[in-house]
Amino acid sequence: MKYTRFERARIIGARALQISLGSPVLVDVSADVIDPIEIAIVEYDKGAIPMTVKRE
Amino acid sequence: MAAKSAIEVFLRKGVDDKTSQKLVEGGYTFTKVARASDKVKRDLEKLLGEKKLKQLLEAVKSKERMPRKKKEKPLKKPEFAKKQLPVKVPERTPMEVRLFKILDKSSRVLPHAVVSEIASRLEGVDIPDKLLEKMIDLTIERFETHVVDPNESVGIIAAQSIGEPGTQMTMRTFHYAGVAEMNVTLGLPRLIEIVDARRVPSTPIMEIHLEDAAQDDLEKVREIASNIERTDLIDIADVDTDINTMEVIVKLDRKKMERKNITPEEVLRKLNKAKGVKGLAEMRDANIVIRCDEPSYKKLQRISEDTKLCPIKGVEGIQRAVIRRVGGHFVIYTEGSNLEKVLEIAHVDKKRTSTNSILEIYEALGVEAARNAIINEASRTLEEQGLTVDIRHIMLVSDLMTSDGDVKAIGRHGISGRKSSVLARAAFEITSTHLLRAGITGEVDTLEGVVENIIVGQPVTVGTGAVNLVWAPGGKAEGEK
Repeated sequence: MKYTRFERARIIGARALQISLGSPVLVDVSADVIDPIEIAIVEYDKGAIPMTVKRE
Repeated sequence: MAAKSAIEVFLRKGVDDKTSQKLVEGGYTFTKVARASDKVKRDLEKLLGEKKLKQLLEAVKSKERMPRKKKEKPLKKPEFAKKQLPVKVPERTPMEVRLFKILDKSSRVLPHAVVSEIASRLEGVDIPDKLLEKMIDLTIERFETHVVDPNESVGIIAAQSIGEPGTQMTMRTFHYAGVAEMNVTLGLPRLIEIVDARRVPSTPIMEIHLEDAAQDDLEKVREIASNIERTDLIDIADVDTDINTMEVIVKLDRKKMERKNITPEEVLRKLNKAKGVKGLAEMRDANIVIRCDEPSYKKLQRISEDTKLCPIKGVEGIQRAVIRRVGGHFVIYTEGSNLEKVLEIAHVDKKRTSTNSILEIYEALGVEAARNAIINEASRTLEEQGLTVDIRHIMLVSDLMTSDGDVKAIGRHGISGRKSSVLARAAFEITSTHLLRAGITGEVDTLEGVVENIIVGQPVTVGTGAVNLVWAPGGKAEGEK
């Protein structure tokens, strides 16, 4: 399934919020990456985010 | 008294005194005798004797009026000549078949329109399958970049995309361009006209194409054009009023009549049918004379006016018809428009003939035709001004206007004023009235639109706001890119 750009933004956004609130990061990122959004993007690219969308 | 008049009737028809008397005393009237059945005739024979009866019947037969016609037969369903219906999707050309085969093989999809566009450009070119495949790959790639994402707020984008070029259009176009010395509204006024779904455009115009049999024959085209152009009596004659004799004298202009193919008899017939002059006109020498039936100058005046405006020929609403050569064929352009009547005229090509009056198209051909008309008119208006707007924006507007089954304007009286949501309506205009009425009638707002959700303070239902996230543990579940 290919995500639309809205879905991608929403997923990354939701994940970034979780990370910023202290959620354990699910992928290995180098120590100098501290921006939760950047981390979420890396997670998204690797397909590690445990979220998907419900389409009607 | 009654008996006396009954006898008189017989006498007038040439039946002798005695017989009439006898008949009436026997309770017969003239019509009864005239329409006598065999049984009645036998009764009459008893009454009168054979010889008299024969005389009587003879006399009656020749004089009797035809019995009144019985009720007219119920109208038969009109039988239309069976013509082949136009096929919506034309049969696939060999090139299209080839392209679809390649698509099917890799189970990819392209819209029919795109495929046939490619095929039409490749027609007659010899191309190996491999190259075709590459072309399709590229086409799909390009196509996908042009596809709109789900949840995209297309409405706002359409509004901006049409609105911005709109600001570049001259506010008021005074110079009219277009067809053969005819005035055509263009630019912003025309665009507003289309979007407002005006009943009658400020310059209604028709473009009448003709069938193959007629479109190259100038004589025939002229004839058709003169049959379309509205001709009033004043266009082909001088109308004088003679106060002494209380007459209106119509001096026919033979030259003009010849040019328009009208005979004096035709004029007379039309005049005798026209309102106000019904049955008063008669030929005298070369002129037509209308005698006033009341000794009143006012009436005479009115007759004179009605005579001048008496329609002789042509289609109602069409003031002028101009013939122009377009692409080697003759096309009739008209000032004024009446699609329904024009389509009924022989030799008019019903497929290509069109008008710029959208409401007329809707009435004659239906909503789908109206939808297409809006798209065509709007995009042509923008194009003429040198502005390019993606047709999909215009299609969206057109779809919105016609989605209810009839043509609605954009704006207060049309779409914006009839939204189902109270809050959306209140946000648009006259807020308090809408809210008050909604309160009184107990309207329910389901908060489905954008405006309602903004008012309430919720994420809107477009773009990111329309995405529903679900928890999908197991990492690389279906959420794979």
